[in-house]
Amino acid sequence: MSDAAGEDGRPAALALDPTDLARLASMSLRARVIVEGAFAGMHHNPHAGTSIEFAEHKEYAPGDDLRHMDWKAVARVERYYIKRFEDETEMRTFLLVDASASMGYKRSGVSKLEYASYLAAALGYLLAQQGDPAGLIVFDERTRQYLPPRTRGGHIRDLLLALEGAYAAGRTQPGRALAHVGELADRRSLIVLMTDLLDAPEGADGLGNRLRQLRSRGHDVALFHLLDPDEVELPFEELTEFAGVEPDDVRRLLVDPRDLAASFARESLALRERWRLACLEAGVEYRFATTATPPAEVLRSFLFDRGRARR
Amino acid sequence: MPLHFVAPSVLLGLLAAALPWLIHRIGRRRARPVAFPAMELLLRAEREVSARRRLREVLLLLLRTLVAAALPLAFARPFAEIRSDLPAAAARSQSAVIVLDDSASLRRLSAAGGEPVFQLARARARSLLESLSGDSDVALVLASEGTPAPVAEPSNDRGRVLGALDAAACSARVADFAGALRRATQILAGSPHADRVIYVVTDLQATGWEGAAPERAAGGPAVIILDVGGAWNNRAIVALSAEPAPEQGAQGLAVVAEIVNFSDEPVRKLGLTLRLDGADVARGFVDLPPRGRARKRFLSSLHTLMGGGTAHDAEVEIDHDLFTLDDRRRARVEVSRGLRVFVVDGDPRTVRTEDETFFLEAALRAGGAGFSITTGLPDELPATTLSGYAAVFLANVPKPSEELAEAVTRYVEGGGGLFISVGDRVDVDAWNQRMKTLLPQPLGLKRTAAAAPGRAPEGETVDLRPAERLAPLDRRHPLLAGFPAKDDGLASARFFQFMLLEPVPDAPGRSVVLRYENGAPALVASDVGRGRVLLLTTTVDREWTDLPIRPGFLPLMQEAARFLAGAPGSDSVSAVTVGQRREIGVGAEDVRIEIVKADGQSRWLTPESRPAAARATEAHGRRTVTFAETDEPGLYRVRASRADGTVVERASESFVVNLDPAESNPARLADDQRPDRAPTGIAAAAAPKRRLELWHFLSAAVLLGVLAESLLTLRLRRGRVKA
Repeated sequence: MSDAAGEDGRPAALALDPTDLARLASMSLRARVIVEGAFAGMHHNPHAGTSIEFAEHKEYAPGDDLRHMDWKAVARVERYYIKRFEDETEMRTFLLVDASASMGYKRSGVSKLEYASYLAAALGYLLAQQGDPAGLIVFDERTRQYLPPRTRGGHIRDLLLALEGAYAAGRTQPGRALAHVGELADRRSLIVLMTDLLDAPEGADGLGNRLRQLRSRGHDVALFHLLDPDEVELPFEELTEFAGVEPDDVRRLLVDPRDLAASFARESLALRERWRLACLEAGVEYRFATTATPPAEVLRSFLFDRGRARR
Repeated sequence: MPLHFVAPSVLLGLLAAALPWLIHRIGRRRARPVAFPAMELLLRAEREVSARRRLREVLLLLLRTLVAAALPLAFARPFAEIRSDLPAAAARSQSAVIVLDDSASLRRLSAAGGEPVFQLARARARSLLESLSGDSDVALVLASEGTPAPVAEPSNDRGRVLGALDAAACSARVADFAGALRRATQILAGSPHADRVIYVVTDLQATGWEGAAPERAAGGPAVIILDVGGAWNNRAIVALSAEPAPEQGAQGLAVVAEIVNFSDEPVRKLGLTLRLDGADVARGFVDLPPRGRARKRFLSSLHTLMGGGTAHDAEVEIDHDLFTLDDRRRARVEVSRGLRVFVVDGDPRTVRTEDETFFLEAALRAGGAGFSITTGLPDELPATTLSGYAAVFLANVPKPSEELAEAVTRYVEGGGGLFISVGDRVDVDAWNQRMKTLLPQPLGLKRTAAAAPGRAPEGETVDLRPAERLAPLDRRHPLLAGFPAKDDGLASARFFQFMLLEPVPDAPGRSVVLRYENGAPALVASDVGRGRVLLLTTTVDREWTDLPIRPGFLPLMQEAARFLAGAPGSDSVSAVTVGQRREIGVGAEDVRIEIVKADGQSRWLTPESRPAAARATEAHGRRTVTFAETDEPGLYRVRASRADGTVVERASESFVVNLDPAESNPARLADDQRPDRAPTGIAAAAAPKRRLELWHFLSAAVLLGVLAESLLTLRLRRGRVKA
């Protein structure tokens, strides 16, 4: 469990490590724990239907509308706070989870697919609590499973079940998945993509183009770049024969990893930086996390930054 | 060069050279397989470091393979056999004498490496010494003339002999192999070893082998020659002399150098430089035919010389070749410039032209000869300090006083020059009594010429009295060397009266310079002490002769003055060769003689009385010191310390030492003259092959390989830690 201070200086999320989350009985429970962990210490009840566009408190200033006074906060902290609400309309959310073979890598802890599933589950749970429709696309080279965004009661259960049943196989085509979403999203939507971006194809159908297209249509796009810690810093210390994760991947490399550690770290950083810049250029929110980071922290950071960006 | 092994079976270990490769291959197979999704990142990273990584892997593999191969190779003790340049005899138990040639010719530079040949000879001697069997004893003798043996008895102490070898220096002396071989034979005479060998390390120059006949008598030591020389070409200055050059004026000087070319190729435009007292004064060129010689005559004038003094240093140097010691030669030049002459007028007249010494003084002053003349009366002489005068002229002095006789005798014996001319006033008995130690011959009766006057040249007013004339000149005498063969200016002189001399036995220091036609001596020279005396048996005015008005009178008087001024002694020369002893005259007041050698070092000698071996009379005692350290060519200066503490320069005793020209001849000793011809016994063994051990190098290679491998591995680990 992580108890580091939050970026905004508020008490940090009480977050379980991914390994601990994995021990929980169900995805539903994990999702709850992640969400509760993300909102721990904040003046917010994540179960109370607060919108994802949650507005925080503002200290009372002369002229504010007294109808929005948070009297409970006054009672608690003896200060006058005004609740701030955004005037919002219903927004659909599409959660895209890359389930290609590379997402199944783990040496210890949880795989990237598992991690992405936790994150997606948490987001889906939160949206369901807020009454916002959330859909799911699990993909590899093509869409493997699609759940359209709904708000009916059993939808979140279906979503969580779908995530729990996801398995890693095949090559990845995130661009194609985004293209599918583009067809499905007939109005402005929030599109959240979770992938490792490894071996993501370039070209017309490439991820970069699709991201730009979605943005140009007015969608709100967020990219979660998930990597295993081994894919950030090569930890191996003996002669190793590396091979691709796909059965038909003929790439082999027999090497002492210590010879490559420094240059591998540079390449990994370059990959992340490349996609960060690409997302920045496209107006896409870029988020990087390793599977060692507690998902609650990632979620909290995501929500807080979005909330701050709205003001 | 074939390779051999002491333990060839160990070479099976070479199979171990495959181990590093096998380990490498096995290691690869035992690599841990990992399915890794970020293959693209891995491959990119690998491309970045692949070149360096592969090079390092190859290098490490190579190093390990080499080390694995070098070890069994080293243990197999490989060696090669090369032909030894040392005699086979060296390996046997023996008593040995190494005769090392340290004569001057070994100072030449070798054509191959540019180092002195002596260094090669010494290195060869050192190798020989180190190759002698451990139970052999060895002595060391140097072959230059007069050099003592550094190790004069056989010694088992190799360190001592090596030390003596390293300390030996190449001399400038001539070689004396006969003496060296005799010495070596003496050293070996008492040796307990059955085998006795003399090893001669030499360049086989023919010089110095005279008398070194091969000693092949039964039981005599064997002689083995190690030749470190080879054919070489040389040119050298073999002689240098200085003589007056009247054609250049009274101060004219001619320096003549003789140069020899010992090679079969001609030499064109060989440069020569003349130096006087260290300053370059002239430059010339000479062509030399193959195996030929040439003389180069430099003309100079002594007025260019700086400083006073009568003795100067002349040096000629030719362009250098490999042997530079003989490219330079020196000579002493005695000059009369500024010579002070004291003229004693025994018959002064009021009319100057009738004065006894009028013509004499005029002759000495003529032509800018540079004589500084002081005239005095006989009574004034004893009170005069004569030591500063190069010559004293006693002209018709009637009766020399005791004081005069003592003063003049002391002066002459101390190195001064005395000219005596007679006349009407001379008291023969007084002269014979008081001046007998100085007179070359006792004076006799006055003789009036009886010869007919002869025909006079047309138009000439002549004295018609009967007169003698001079016999033809003997120009071999140095005083007359400058007179021309014809029209010498003396043949026309007429002598109306002259003094006969009492006959005396011949003596080496006495010579008749001029004779009358009747055979009587006209001018006699003799050495007295360190000085010289000239006796003219007539007058220097016109009383007895018309010589003063003849053309030859002027050069005769000037040459006489120079002759008297430049004569340090008949039994001494101003130049010696290296190694020769030099007798140095000591003045009456001298308590110690200092000789400043050519290299600047000083030696002090205390005078000792020694009867001169070749003196004309026993009464002519002479104090001398003998100097033997003429080791190097150059100028040796002489100074004298007196009892009163003063130190005076003895320029007239200073001398030059030159190289013996024999060392300049590169001719090699003929094979039939070699003392080692037709070797027998120990000397006859064929030169063996020498074993060159290689395992040392292999062991060093192993060590270096291990070190390099360790460093490379360490560097690799450090790089990984940084990563």
